[in-house]
Amino acid sequence: MLRFWSGAGLRLVSVMLMASFMGAMLMRIAPGFSSDDQELNSGLSAQSIQAIRRVHLMDADIPHFYAQYIAALVRGDLGTSRSLNQPVKQLLRERLPVTLVNLAFALAMGWLLGLALAIGTELWDVPALNFFANALSGTFISTPAAALALVFLLLRWPPAFAAALLVFPKIYRYAQNLLQQSSEMPHVLTARAKGAGPLRVLAWHVAPIALPQMIALVGVSISIGIGVLLPIEVVSDVAGIGQLAWQAAQARDLPLLVNLTMVVTFVTVCATLISDAAQRGLSRSAA
Amino acid sequence: MKPVRLVAIAVLALTALTVFGARYLAPAGYEQQFREMPQAAPSVHHLLGTDDLGRDRWARLLYGMRVSLTLAPLAALFTTVLAGLVGGIAGYFGGWTERCCKLLIDLFLSVPWLFLLITVRAVLPLNVSPEASVMVTFALLGLLGWAASARVICAGAKDLMKSEFIWMARASGFSGFKLVRLHLLPNLRGALLAQFWISIPVFIIAEANLGALGLGVAEPLPSLGSLLRELQDAIMLRPEPWRLLPLAVLIVIISSFQVLLNKQEVRS
Repeated sequence: MLRFWSGAGLRLVSVMLMASFMGAMLMRIAPGFSSDDQELNSGLSAQSIQAIRRVHLMDADIPHFYAQYIAALVRGDLGTSRSLNQPVKQLLRERLPVTLVNLAFALAMGWLLGLALAIGTELWDVPALNFFANALSGTFISTPAAALALVFLLLRWPPAFAAALLVFPKIYRYAQNLLQQSSEMPHVLTARAKGAGPLRVLAWHVAPIALPQMIALVGVSISIGIGVLLPIEVVSDVAGIGQLAWQAAQARDLPLLVNLTMVVTFVTVCATLISDAAQRGLSRSAA
Repeated sequence: MKPVRLVAIAVLALTALTVFGARYLAPAGYEQQFREMPQAAPSVHHLLGTDDLGRDRWARLLYGMRVSLTLAPLAALFTTVLAGLVGGIAGYFGGWTERCCKLLIDLFLSVPWLFLLITVRAVLPLNVSPEASVMVTFALLGLLGWAASARVICAGAKDLMKSEFIWMARASGFSGFKLVRLHLLPNLRGALLAQFWISIPVFIIAEANLGALGLGVAEPLPSLGSLLRELQDAIMLRPEPWRLLPLAVLIVIISSFQVLLNKQEVRS
């Protein structure tokens, strides 16, 4: 167990460092990195424009910027956002809870809807229900998050519900497939042949097999949730980290972007590690 | 074949015909402006009316579909090649090479790639040409979307490397490139093809998300994503519901892809 957690910790740190470095590197090699919208402002003097360029050049040496950033991070200093002129720590403190609440709601609703439909179609083999569930999941899996957010904005519905509807198809499809596979196993068929009812078969024979794999999906669904929340927050004007990332990207605010990449990576890797650990634990106890 | 699959094939075939016949079906070019009739309602001359700049919406939809449906498969091909390379190398060599490749895969899977995509796409110069923007958008999609496919290919290659026929091939003196070309690649072809088909709708949706946020293809070139920007004028959707047609078309095309993809492939 200790080996697993030490390996997981090492993986978490290395992936976070590499992800933030990769984010900074991708930003740096993008052709528009050194340019700034403010340079087009005719009201600025030549000295001001030179000063703006100097600030950008300071970030141009990515290894240097990154080494300084890591040194400051060790001291607990996340730096200051250039575009918003506020400490990044404060921005994260304000924005992260908003995204986490929306993420929790979206995941809870997505899982509830996905599992309910998957279990429903497994328990009652009603063609109408199958059609409804497949059509619903097919529609939302084919809808871009930004477009759904716009529709929700028009209808004045909560944006987190749009995220839930975009998470649900993945849960439903995976869960339905898993339940279907598990219910075709020999011991389940035997239980059915001996007269066990559908609910009993599901609860005692199918669910225990499917559960460890379903738990592995929790980590993946968090990554999916963050991915869909980003455009939703931008379109719906929700003051979360998705919108903050968007603003930082628009303003080419490298310190803020590197920190946001770190935070997003931390949340997703932690979720994956925890769900991996839970899956291992459940698989061991089942064995 | 199930009727729903037949419908999906018919929809995609019709889409392909429409897309490649855009030149003949569209009443005007995608950038041609009818300055005397901006925001015109649908009519015989303009089936979906005109946009704020007086451009024919039907023509823009046809050309937008052409851009998205031509370049998404190209990006999918690029991503499949990348996934095949990384996954194949990891599965073939095993050991430390596999661990390093898996760390790279984990890295790409850990960061929601739409996040990275928006970050990188946002720092492109503002004066980038429409043609360059479309190429960059889809190239980025291909460059950042390979990790999940690589994991599948890695698992497939690893299983194959343990199989008896590979051992026999090795015992017969096959190694290196010859082993890969004659035994590994032909047996991974199914998995690679599946990953290619799965990537196409994913990239169309990703481009649509970028387009709706204004970071996709630059004006005046249309794409399915950039056409969704018209939805931002939410107040106009009730009096002009035809503005929703690009979204409906997108959903129908992606749904058709989803129906056609093998159940297992979609859900893996």
